Amino acid sequence: MTGTPAVVADTIVLNDEDIRTAAELEKSWRNPPGLIGWLKSTSHTSLGKRYIVTTFVFFLLGGLEAGAMRLQLSRPENSWIGPDLYNQIFTMHGTTMMFLFAVPVMTAVGLYFVPLMVGTRNVSFPRLNQYGYYAYVVGGVFLYVAFILNTGPDAGWFSYVPLAGPQYSPGKRVDVWAQTVTFTEIAGLIAAVNIIVTAFKQRAPGMSLNRIPLFVWSMLVMSFMIIFAMPWVATASQMLAMDRLLDTHFFNQAEGGDPILWQHLFWFFAHPEVYIIFIPALGMVSAIVETFTRRPIFGYPVMVMSLITTGFMGFGLWVHHMFATPVPQLGQSFFTAASTIIAIPTGVQIFCWIATIWSGKPEYRTPFLFVLGFMFTFIIGGLTGVMVASVPFDLQAHDTYFVVAHLHYVLIGGGLFPLFGAFYYWFPKITGRMLSERLGKWNFWLFLTGVNVTFFPMHVLGLNGMTRRIYTYLPETGWGALNLVSSLGAVVIVTSVAIFIFNVFYSLKRGVVAGDNPWGAATLEWATQSPPPSYVFLHVPIVESEHPLWTDSPELPVVTGLRTDIRENLITTLMDAEPDHRQDSPEPTIWPFLAALATGVEFIVAIFTAWGIVIGSALVFPAFVLWAWPVKKEQQHRLAAEQDPLARAGQ
Amino acid sequence: MKRYRPLIDVSALPTFTFGRSAITWWGTLCYMVIEGMSLVVCLVTYLYLRKNVYHWPPPPTSLPGVLLPGIGAAFLASTNIANYWLHQVARRLDVQKTRIGFLIISVLGAAAIVFRVYDFRQLNTHWDSNAYSSAAWVTVGFHTALLVFEVVETWVFTALMWFGPVEGKHFSDADDNCLYWYFMSLVWLPVYFFIYWSPRLM
Repeated sequence: MTGTPAVVADTIVLNDEDIRTAAELEKSWRNPPGLIGWLKSTSHTSLGKRYIVTTFVFFLLGGLEAGAMRLQLSRPENSWIGPDLYNQIFTMHGTTMMFLFAVPVMTAVGLYFVPLMVGTRNVSFPRLNQYGYYAYVVGGVFLYVAFILNTGPDAGWFSYVPLAGPQYSPGKRVDVWAQTVTFTEIAGLIAAVNIIVTAFKQRAPGMSLNRIPLFVWSMLVMSFMIIFAMPWVATASQMLAMDRLLDTHFFNQAEGGDPILWQHLFWFFAHPEVYIIFIPALGMVSAIVETFTRRPIFGYPVMVMSLITTGFMGFGLWVHHMFATPVPQLGQSFFTAASTIIAIPTGVQIFCWIATIWSGKPEYRTPFLFVLGFMFTFIIGGLTGVMVASVPFDLQAHDTYFVVAHLHYVLIGGGLFPLFGAFYYWFPKITGRMLSERLGKWNFWLFLTGVNVTFFPMHVLGLNGMTRRIYTYLPETGWGALNLVSSLGAVVIVTSVAIFIFNVFYSLKRGVVAGDNPWGAATLEWATQSPPPSYVFLHVPIVESEHPLWTDSPELPVVTGLRTDIRENLITTLMDAEPDHRQDSPEPTIWPFLAALATGVEFIVAIFTAWGIVIGSALVFPAFVLWAWPVKKEQQHRLAAEQDPLARAGQ
Repeated sequence: MKRYRPLIDVSALPTFTFGRSAITWWGTLCYMVIEGMSLVVCLVTYLYLRKNVYHWPPPPTSLPGVLLPGIGAAFLASTNIANYWLHQVARRLDVQKTRIGFLIISVLGAAAIVFRVYDFRQLNTHWDSNAYSSAAWVTVGFHTALLVFEVVETWVFTALMWFGPVEGKHFSDADDNCLYWYFMSLVWLPVYFFIYWSPRLM
């Protein structure tokens, strides 16, 4: 299929029965009223929106910290920020961007869109979703309250020991870091489980594995990476906290511990984390490229295999962050080879996108421009990645601004450009209105310019010997001019992001009304209203091709027979998505929110005394029990709807 | 303009099911992976720290006992006989037997927690003595957290089965609880070997 596909009409004609069904579903699925009702919501669209907005707030905070650093470094011997505050600021910037923005925003977009793209009404475990979101908020607020109280972490976003150990970092700053990480890992793991089970078991009938949209594949690979990678940092950060509070000796050389162990445990998580951020972005790029070239992605099976291969290989690279430690030569060779080889599956995807664009009819709208910006910027980051994969070069560039430039090209190029594209692409679905194209193009060009002006000079600064994490430098170093250029680039980035924020607020009020499918896209999230109603889909759709909305048929095949008086989802089989059973979806409740607060008390008190675990558990336990305990009225509804797979016996 | 075309009627499908069909089974599996990985991190730490010293455990730390923890491990593994029975009766939707099965598992679980006290004592060291002691304590401690969590969850399920109207999906929950119990109880065997036997072999 290479021609322009027919596009589903914006409006679906509803008959009387449909209108009645919609009213019944609205009654069953709507969020409870008031502030308490807002906190009770288990809707994946409500929580997904909150999640995305919250991550963006943290993005802005992390950006302000970056701006403060650029201001400080804009000229030599600047005394605006002292060394202690500077240490906190760069640690807060890294911790915020990695743990509170980059990973959560990807899972948040997944939690919003995976159910929509697979054609179901909510995630598999809505109350867990609610708990995960609030645990994340508690963790983020905790970090910033500590920062305001001059207890912000200051040992770098990776908290290397012995610097982060009890001897060199007395006080509670590193403990704040360790517990923030725990909160965000809980949230990430919960999101991953929800995404995996929703994508495996709640796909619309007919959406067999070979018809899953590439974005959903990317979220699946990301989620599997999360459940295998995040336990490493969650456990390791607890070991660090115990070394500091309970006098354990995991990282204390004097008592048989090992500081290098921390680096292994941390990077075994943190290198996959780069792919946890990057792989969903690849899925966003595929979704945008397909829609704006008006043709199916070239090489779908190869794209899926590349995503999975990248996911596996992402676990075999962590030691390239540690080439400056005593790694055996064989190990160095292995990790150099692995770090170079991982360029292959990414390269395959880039060539598939190029082939798709080449043979399609590209429309240069804002989301597509951000995809092109991704390719340009990310490829530069990828090339410097191949450079630092080589041990001799890495030893020269290690801990210099060359690495700062590389990682920002990779993360901004590979994560932020696709994310901005995705915001423009999916904003109409989330809000019902289009973002302004004119402002979008200003946003894009300024961002592309700003990123390159800010970060390209850092390559040169690094090669000239400027080391990372220094709060100032002498005029004699000759680094002043390039640092000033870099800081001016940051001003351009700030302007670009300000335009984006203005665009969002402006378009929320005055944007063009979007309709169901403003881009003429092929996937199921566009088969319902914009924004989606509380029940998401009036009828669960049935999928008859890889591109269910690119069809000439005047009819949309759908499922009937799900209960409308209670919340019910259709569960399908893993491989072929054949209808298997009906499953009730939990009603809203306040207990997951309260359980998240109780978890907050547990972790925060545990910074000061190990009794925090006991006190916290005493609070968390009843919250969890009441969360799970059935409410009588809801239970009666479920019992009335119950249908056994076997004849009931003994009751 | 499009219109909906009803194609599949799912009203006759069951409202709960067992094993791989159920979303809770997949959720439980994911949490087994997460917790299994955390245990792997503990064991990797234990092995990594081993290379830093000539003697393991480093003197003057005593070797851990093997007998009492061995009895505890055998006891925990043997709870799976009752767990298997509970698994079977739950899948047959037998309310009375499922209630009894939960009660038995609840009591066995409480006993396993008591045994665990001796597992800690038999480490013959304190967590702050040296890195070996920290690794051993945290590994046993992490599994203890899994044990306590699972036993408490089983108590809640037991209360649900005895005091609340029994819903069909509670049998499905019982099915998943049994699955997790297999994992929690059997994963202790390699951990037991590592912590209590391997210092004698290394």
